[in-house]
Amino acid sequence: MSGFRLETGGRVDRNQPVQFRFDGTSYQGLEGDTLASALLANGVMLFGRSFKYHRPRGILAAGSEEPNALVSVDRGPGRFTPNLRATGVEIHAGLNAVSQNRWPSLKADFGAINDRLGMFFPAGFYNKTFMWPRSFWDKVYEPAIRQMAGLGDAPTAEDPDHYASTYAHCDLLIVGAGPAGIDAALGSMDTNKRIILIDEQDELGGGALADPALWPWLERSHKALIDAPNVTILTRTTAFGYYHDNFIGAVQRLTDHLPKPGDGAREKLWRIRAGEVVLAQGAIERPLVFEGNDTPGVMLSSAAKIFATRYGVAVGKAVVLMAAHDSGWHDVFALAKAGVGIAAIIDVRERVDSALMQEAGRLGIAVHLNHSVMGVSGRHSVRAVQICNNDDYLARRIDCDAVLMAGGWTPSVHLWSHSKGSLKWRDDLGAYVPDQPNENVRCVGGCSGDWDFGNGAVIDVLPTPKDHSRIKAFVDFQNDVTAKDIKLAVREGFRSIEHIKRYTTNGMATDQGKTSNLNGLQIASSALDKPVPDIGLTSFRPPYTPQTFGALAGHAKGALFQPTRTTNIDSWADAHGAVFELVAQWRRARYFPKSGEDMHAAVNRECVAVRSSVGIFDASTLGKIEVVGPDAAEFLNRMYTNPWKALEPGRCRYGLLLKEDGFITDDGVSARLAPDRFHLTTTTGGAARVLNMMEDYLQTEWPDLDVWLTSTTEQYAVIALQGPNARKVLEPLVEGIDLSAEAFPHMAIREGMICGIPTRLFRVSFTGELGFEINVPTAYGRAVWERLMAQGAQYDITPYGTEAMHVLRAEKGFIIVGQDTDGTVTPFDAGLDWAVGKKKPDFVGKRSMARPDIVAPGRKQLVGLLTDDPNVVLEEGAQIVADPKQPVPMTMIGHVTSSYWSETLGRSIAFALVAGGHEMTGDTLHIPMPGKTHIAKVSGLVFYDPEGARLHV
Amino acid sequence: MILIHCPYCDEKRPEIEFANAGQAHIARPIDPSGESDADWETYLFIRANPRGRHHERWRHVHGCGRFFNAVRDTVTDKFETTYKAGEPRR
Amino acid sequence: MSEALIRYEPVPETPCVAAGVTISLAGPMQRFALRARRAEDLETVLKVRLPRHIGASEAGIACLGPDEWYLRAEAGATVPTDSGLPVAITDVSERSICLVIEGPRAAEILMSGCPLDLDNFAVGRATRTIYETVEVIIIREAEDRFHVELWRSFGAWFWIAITNAASH
Repeated sequence: MSGFRLETGGRVDRNQPVQFRFDGTSYQGLEGDTLASALLANGVMLFGRSFKYHRPRGILAAGSEEPNALVSVDRGPGRFTPNLRATGVEIHAGLNAVSQNRWPSLKADFGAINDRLGMFFPAGFYNKTFMWPRSFWDKVYEPAIRQMAGLGDAPTAEDPDHYASTYAHCDLLIVGAGPAGIDAALGSMDTNKRIILIDEQDELGGGALADPALWPWLERSHKALIDAPNVTILTRTTAFGYYHDNFIGAVQRLTDHLPKPGDGAREKLWRIRAGEVVLAQGAIERPLVFEGNDTPGVMLSSAAKIFATRYGVAVGKAVVLMAAHDSGWHDVFALAKAGVGIAAIIDVRERVDSALMQEAGRLGIAVHLNHSVMGVSGRHSVRAVQICNNDDYLARRIDCDAVLMAGGWTPSVHLWSHSKGSLKWRDDLGAYVPDQPNENVRCVGGCSGDWDFGNGAVIDVLPTPKDHSRIKAFVDFQNDVTAKDIKLAVREGFRSIEHIKRYTTNGMATDQGKTSNLNGLQIASSALDKPVPDIGLTSFRPPYTPQTFGALAGHAKGALFQPTRTTNIDSWADAHGAVFELVAQWRRARYFPKSGEDMHAAVNRECVAVRSSVGIFDASTLGKIEVVGPDAAEFLNRMYTNPWKALEPGRCRYGLLLKEDGFITDDGVSARLAPDRFHLTTTTGGAARVLNMMEDYLQTEWPDLDVWLTSTTEQYAVIALQGPNARKVLEPLVEGIDLSAEAFPHMAIREGMICGIPTRLFRVSFTGELGFEINVPTAYGRAVWERLMAQGAQYDITPYGTEAMHVLRAEKGFIIVGQDTDGTVTPFDAGLDWAVGKKKPDFVGKRSMARPDIVAPGRKQLVGLLTDDPNVVLEEGAQIVADPKQPVPMTMIGHVTSSYWSETLGRSIAFALVAGGHEMTGDTLHIPMPGKTHIAKVSGLVFYDPEGARLHV
Repeated sequence: MILIHCPYCDEKRPEIEFANAGQAHIARPIDPSGESDADWETYLFIRANPRGRHHERWRHVHGCGRFFNAVRDTVTDKFETTYKAGEPRR
Repeated sequence: MSEALIRYEPVPETPCVAAGVTISLAGPMQRFALRARRAEDLETVLKVRLPRHIGASEAGIACLGPDEWYLRAEAGATVPTDSGLPVAITDVSERSICLVIEGPRAAEILMSGCPLDLDNFAVGRATRTIYETVEVIIIREAEDRFHVELWRSFGAWFWIAITNAASH
């Protein structure tokens, strides 16, 4: 034996040494090692500092239940992963791992003072202590606690890796590829079921990997499963959550075990829908609760066996077993046979199976029945244990360098519990096992309580002559919860385990109490003198083990963070220097700065161009709905506030849409193409909502109407050509449409050709100028735009963006639904009562316009605001008061909804919603803003060309 | 992600194809102008919030597009049944 | 008139070729949304047979809903949109693009973001569904070939998403 590596045994490749680093020191391990087994082989026992007391901690377990040995792995810029369990980190050449929660170093940790002061840190310490003064929390307490307590550092650099994701479907999903899971797969392999077999480890086998006698079977089974075309094997994959209808989330780790990250995805999220689920997650061994049970070198008995038989590593040279369960004896026998020195077996029970006694005798191992470990010597590693007789507390010391705990087994019912399967308590196991399923799922093997580990005693805390209130016997290793904390919680009046859990934080760490929940329940049960099932059970929730945000986010970052919709003209805008903004999911050109222009200058220039010559605007994002059928006009008449039946084909109408509560929800100009065909437009953000609302009424309230709705938003690219020269630009390009004012008046639609392709040409205006909206099949949008640009060059045609569009419409008093309305504005409030058909017996929202609170005085109404200082542009959202001298908090009577600099008018303009605003024309109001309170007078909404003379040309 | 049986497609489809549309079986009055303020208020705003069996509307918006009715248990999130719009309450 | 206008497509016209799958943009085609209470009325107007079951497709016409069909035809084909019958025929030729996903991994790649069990999605089936958060219509043209119809504005996003999935 060299160091702690056994001469033979294990599945590691002794011909493949691997160099790696831990806390800056170089070590050698073997291919197949985990960071835990490789460091143990090098005699490293100290892996980290505990969360609260900063106590030295070593390895407790060999698998994903490990609570202590959390490390960070640094793979270069942006590839820093904290809080990985050393028992799950596969070593590879160049691996660089560091310990956590220690300063300045793992061996000399300043924070360990917390351990000496432990008597001052009882359960609920933070809740009790840092309540007062309240103002200290943000600045003093929280930063100090964050510095002292906690897990690894969060990475700060952007993650350069990418992450894949997929859905998958199978008839049978098996979670856990130990013997039970493999048997389940083999048993169904010859059916035509699609089978997915998942295991979190790097190879199939689970517990069989630590049992060399099973390796030949494992190899045969593995080959059979690989050869089966209907079986998908996912190793290094954690099924982290079990959701409704057999939907399981799993993360597959693809590159973390490789020396170089490579180009492929780091992890892949599997969203699996399974016909049937078989859970074969095994069972987790329970620690025993005694003073010093967290000393590095004290670990689960099963873990020591795994390190020896799977990795060829001895966890010590003189090992003591503290058992309450037969399984520990078998582990120790296996260790002895593997060449590990056994100092003694101590069992809390008075009697054990005689076969165990005989085997111990045959192996020459000293046995102390009816004894308990009452203390552990050594701080950074075990030097000896003190044991005592359970009856007379007669004590003795046994020198040793490792202590194994065999406290019995806890079935891993995590995913079963996610699926809302019920649990039943088994006194003989001291554990909950699956009872009634809530999905098509069954548990097999260890996680169902079916195992051949032998028998054991169920105990809460090992007997000790010491004062229970003065010893640290750990229950939850990751959150530093001791037996006395749980007893204190009970003394302070907590009765339900849900409350005890939250008060003590037992089981609330990242391991969700995999090794601590049952011990915590037993201790609370004893303290309350009630059976375990009577004090409740906490819930397991996803994730089973912590997962990366990257895996859950998948490709949803950067350009793929969310679908960004682009118009056909977007590429032209991009090539011509547009500054963009997101509107709903759309990317829209906000303005087109020329060199040296800021937004203000660009918008002013764009607005002036529209008013003086001609501007061009991409309006493709407007929602469009084609309404077709014999009852089309009747349907629109019921939906919109105004009358539609008399609208002639070829003409347009402004439509105002309310919800049934009487508030404005959308608006838009719509055209009648034929007696049974309308072309509706909606706001950009309202398109999907309006279509859904109309479908709702059509399908469920008026299913007798013969009319159908089709979204045509994306069928047409829409180019708005606005300004006194718009007709001159358009005329040479259009065929089959007479553009003259007489033949084609404002608010009309014509169908014809433009640049050789069909168009639906609207004569409409959202700017107050002569205007056209040119609808063309989407793929030709950019090409038509470019022809218009070329044709308009002689008029200095100017592309303008959404910002100029906003200014131009505000100058004309046109509202934007969602900006000037907020879901509580009626047509009357918005000054749009002209758009409400007074004679119509019904339309959506009509009845609500007579609701008592809608006819009551004092409603907020939309008005114009003109600041006394014309150069002041109010802030949108600024609050409005009537009397600026009133004490704070002032009575706010409204707020600014839209506010711009109008270059055309040479002054600022604004809209505001003001209580009783329609009666206040000419009144002076006050708008407190940072630095100054501004004064403005209430006006009408139309600031420019109130007669509309510019439209009808 | 639950599976929901669409009564029009007659198959179970993933939840993300659907949108919830609130409580079911609340018909718009034939003549709203004849409704009292109190009745209109009830129609507009008053909704059940049961623990357990709940009648609600869903729309297979990213599928066949149809609104339909469902009985869902609000405790377990399990669908008891789904049925076409216009069919009697189950 | 001057020379014909250029079409601008939201995705590259060069196919994405990855292991086991090729993703390419289908050429322009005519598309119509067909709606009617009774399929017979549409059949009278269009002089074609309509599939009666939601999810079925025949001769370029997919039944997407109880009163909804989706007709795809080669570019230049004409369809009457006016009729005396209670039907709605709406030209949506340019609303969508069609991506052809072809190869032995076609279903697998589509399932990267589509929650349907495409192993059990027979040739000839068509349905509206979701890819991640984007609505699509998928049509299984052959065992190893799918057509994915999606609205144009989502094309750029979808292209990156699906080709990323294909390259993994």
